[in-house]
Amino acid sequence: MAKGKRKFLDILDRRPLLLDGATGTELQKRGMPPGVSPELWCAENPGVIAGVHRDYARAGADAVYTCTFGANRFKLEPYGEAQVRSLNRRLALIARQAVGGNTLVVGDIGPTGRFIRPFGELDFEEAVGAFKEQVRGLLDGGVDGFVIETMMDIQEARAALIAVRESCDLFTMVTMTFERDGRTLNGTDPLTALVTLQALGAGAVGCNCSTGPDDMARFVGAMRPFATVPLVAKPNAGMPRSSGGATVYDMDAAEFARRAGALVGAGAAILGGCCGTTPEHLAALRKAVSRKKAPAPLRRSLAALSSARRSLVFEPGRPLVVIGEGINPTGKKALQEELREGKTALVRRMARDQEAAGADLLDVNVGVPGIDQEKAMQEVVLTLAAATELPLVIDSAKTEPIERALRVYPGRALINSISGEKEKLRRLLPVAAKYGAMFILLPLTDRGIPGTAEKRADVVRTVLREARRHGFTRDDVLVDGIVMTAASNPSAPGETLRTVRWAAETFGARTVVGLSNVSFGLPERRWVNAAFLAMASASGLTAAIANPASEELMFVKRAADVLGGRDRDAAAWIAQCARAGETGKPRPAGALTPEQKLREAILDGNREAVGGCVAEALAAGLDAEALAREVMIPSIVEVGERFGRKEYFLPQLIASGETMKLGMEALEPFLQASSREAAGRGTILLATVKGDVHDIGKNIVALMLRNHGYRVVDLGKDVASERIVREIRKHKPDAVGLSALMTTTMTRMKEVIELARGQGQSCPFIVGGAVVTRAYAEAIGAAYARDGVEAVQVIQNMTGERLKP
Amino acid sequence: MDRLITFERIPIEPPLKAIYRRLGYRKGITHIRPDEARALGDRIEQARALICLKGAARRLPILSKTPRLIRLPGNHTLQSARLAELLADSREVLLLGATAGPEVIEAIRRDTADDNLTRAVVFDAAASEMVDAALDWMVTLFGRELRREGRRLTKSRFSCGYGDLALENQRIFYDLLELGRFGVELTERCILVPEKSVTAVAGIETTG
Repeated sequence: MAKGKRKFLDILDRRPLLLDGATGTELQKRGMPPGVSPELWCAENPGVIAGVHRDYARAGADAVYTCTFGANRFKLEPYGEAQVRSLNRRLALIARQAVGGNTLVVGDIGPTGRFIRPFGELDFEEAVGAFKEQVRGLLDGGVDGFVIETMMDIQEARAALIAVRESCDLFTMVTMTFERDGRTLNGTDPLTALVTLQALGAGAVGCNCSTGPDDMARFVGAMRPFATVPLVAKPNAGMPRSSGGATVYDMDAAEFARRAGALVGAGAAILGGCCGTTPEHLAALRKAVSRKKAPAPLRRSLAALSSARRSLVFEPGRPLVVIGEGINPTGKKALQEELREGKTALVRRMARDQEAAGADLLDVNVGVPGIDQEKAMQEVVLTLAAATELPLVIDSAKTEPIERALRVYPGRALINSISGEKEKLRRLLPVAAKYGAMFILLPLTDRGIPGTAEKRADVVRTVLREARRHGFTRDDVLVDGIVMTAASNPSAPGETLRTVRWAAETFGARTVVGLSNVSFGLPERRWVNAAFLAMASASGLTAAIANPASEELMFVKRAADVLGGRDRDAAAWIAQCARAGETGKPRPAGALTPEQKLREAILDGNREAVGGCVAEALAAGLDAEALAREVMIPSIVEVGERFGRKEYFLPQLIASGETMKLGMEALEPFLQASSREAAGRGTILLATVKGDVHDIGKNIVALMLRNHGYRVVDLGKDVASERIVREIRKHKPDAVGLSALMTTTMTRMKEVIELARGQGQSCPFIVGGAVVTRAYAEAIGAAYARDGVEAVQVIQNMTGERLKP
Repeated sequence: MDRLITFERIPIEPPLKAIYRRLGYRKGITHIRPDEARALGDRIEQARALICLKGAARRLPILSKTPRLIRLPGNHTLQSARLAELLADSREVLLLGATAGPEVIEAIRRDTADDNLTRAVVFDAAASEMVDAALDWMVTLFGRELRREGRRLTKSRFSCGYGDLALENQRIFYDLLELGRFGVELTERCILVPEKSVTAVAGIETTG
């Protein structure tokens, strides 16, 4: 172990390691004016920052952070500073001189303020390059270790960590900033951050800033059971609040020490203070924790994968993991074409569909002959990293696309696959180790696929022995059972199952199969696949590469989860059945009369059932006209009244409206011509005014009016005033409805009315929209309605009628 | 400090409470059946899959100001007494822009044409609230950064077309935030297209 790392770990062997407290707020107290670069100011005022470092060391800090939080090229550029390396060196030297040899100096790396692809536009390698520039300066200045802190973007934390690890072997802590809801602003939760960062080689992982000690205890507690490295907590002195124009923190030193000290119980081995803490806070904290033991990591390894926003831990008893196999161009012309053209829309859609169908992970293969697969893999992986929360499985026969994917992927990925082929082992194991990836261990060799489970087991042992040299354990692999075609070799499925059982029960590893190969050449493959999945699940299978859109497969998987004790209280099974049960099945109507059923359908917004209800009522001998007048219209009026009382909200109002519309369409052929005529309550012309493209409200009004028997002429959105008046002349409506969303466009309403009046049109106007008020409507000579229901009432009043049951 | 920062994917969860509120839900009054709640949840999830939140921010010094005028670099002038009042203690501004992208708007259009207004209205509410939440997200992000500088953002922000800040100023926001790079267009009448695209300005103040 490097000497630098030993210094940190020696302290942790004895007690919690104490970091320093806030630098920024201390500098402000000691005269740093607002708006300056703290790093440049400290370089110009070395005595002040040296005093801060010294005070923290005297207070009992084992390590102080260099004042280089923002000393990267992106943060310094606005101040005209280009000498990043020398500035970092200078600030590291100041810290070293201030604290001497007995206190550790940690090179502090903060965010660039830019967002890295796929979350921003900064190129990943440019970010790594910028961090390396800073790292080199800090190494020149003789730091003992590094901290990458206050990160909200896991991709930026990764870039900085890669920069450090490609520059030196010093102890490196990474701390993210979690909001009180338990996620970074970029959406990463503590466990996901831990899975990604500890796999990538962080020496310690944790959190700083944003919250006080109490919230931070939750974040540390979430990481604790899964951590293979020490955990860090550097909380603020409570939550910031504004007082008299200044930002203040309420916790005094004693309270901070009491609460932050409790973080050791939650699992934090490395402690310090962030915003609002002072040397006094640190001294009190030192006193509070100096007699405690530092919590050691509970695990040596962890079988887990992550994306930027989600993690998946392969724990015993968890449901079988489905790896969506869809993103693979083999036999898919459209996907091949898209990858050739460098497009990703189809990939995004496939990811979304598989996620919605229940996939837990997504396999990504870009193996189209003749394309730059390294580049294509990078683009697809970055696209998916933003488009889906599911962790990815990087699937390629070549090393370069895999390496590229692992470097830029903002999570811990699974490699599909590393086999016992000598060249693959030689090239892929170091890559997997560098980026901390898990891998599918494919038990084949340069001589081919072993025919029996015993021979496959030999290959598994050989590959894992080699992998151990790179730091891997059984937790880092999924053993592939290797699925062969049953149609051509009837004993093949049995060998696969025996391999899975051996790997799961004897060898103690997770397992995976690529399912669909088993049914190749057979009819009705979905059933064969589902049956094999059930058998493999019973043999101890952890994950299957499969098509999650196969309903048979997903039902069998969930049933097998229940029967295998992998679905507690059968919750997932019940949820799956409930979803399936809802599709297309009408709710039991019991002993309701046909009229009551029709009324219920409208009140419930049951679009699927309403046509049948109308048919049933007619078949029962009910008169079509009476059905409309005495059942349907009163029902939709009641919907409006419930909406008015806020018992219904908009989706229910519209669902009922659409149901009514479908019901009327079903009834229409049975109405006598005279009835149809009578049902016409008048013509209403609707438009969203010129310059405004927001028309959802107008569309709702149109639906409601149609349901109340009005003929609606809908001119659409962004309609010129002149055209509206032209259409008024043409259709001679009983009323005109105008909508606008913005203050700037609602002035067009006045323009339309004046234009119409100027041309002798006397029809009444009704206006509405987000910013339109009753007072404005009155001022321009129009009626007002706040929503679709009121619009119907107002128009009924305007046109001299009120529909009543 | 004058630098455009772009966000290719703002990763926020749909703000469910705000979406429900926008749809007219009132706690304790509105009754929703379990199947309706599940359907609504599914639609919000579908909207989330269609919404691709992108954003841009630009921090600019205020070159000069009067009670009615704010002069920014590049000969840009914002004329608004209410904005000038908001920026009374500010020496810089933060311009913000966000868009939900075109996919959700196309889905709303398609659903409306196909008589599935029930889903369209949920998509519409989800997109509106998520774009607003994207601006909130950027405000939080920059607020955090500014705190380290001993600065803060004004408590409220201002958008073109509201109060006395004319919609025509949208052109300035559009250009400075380079919203065209996200596929957002500005119509002749200064409307941002796709529809669920917004801009805003907040002031940057020095804390006590």
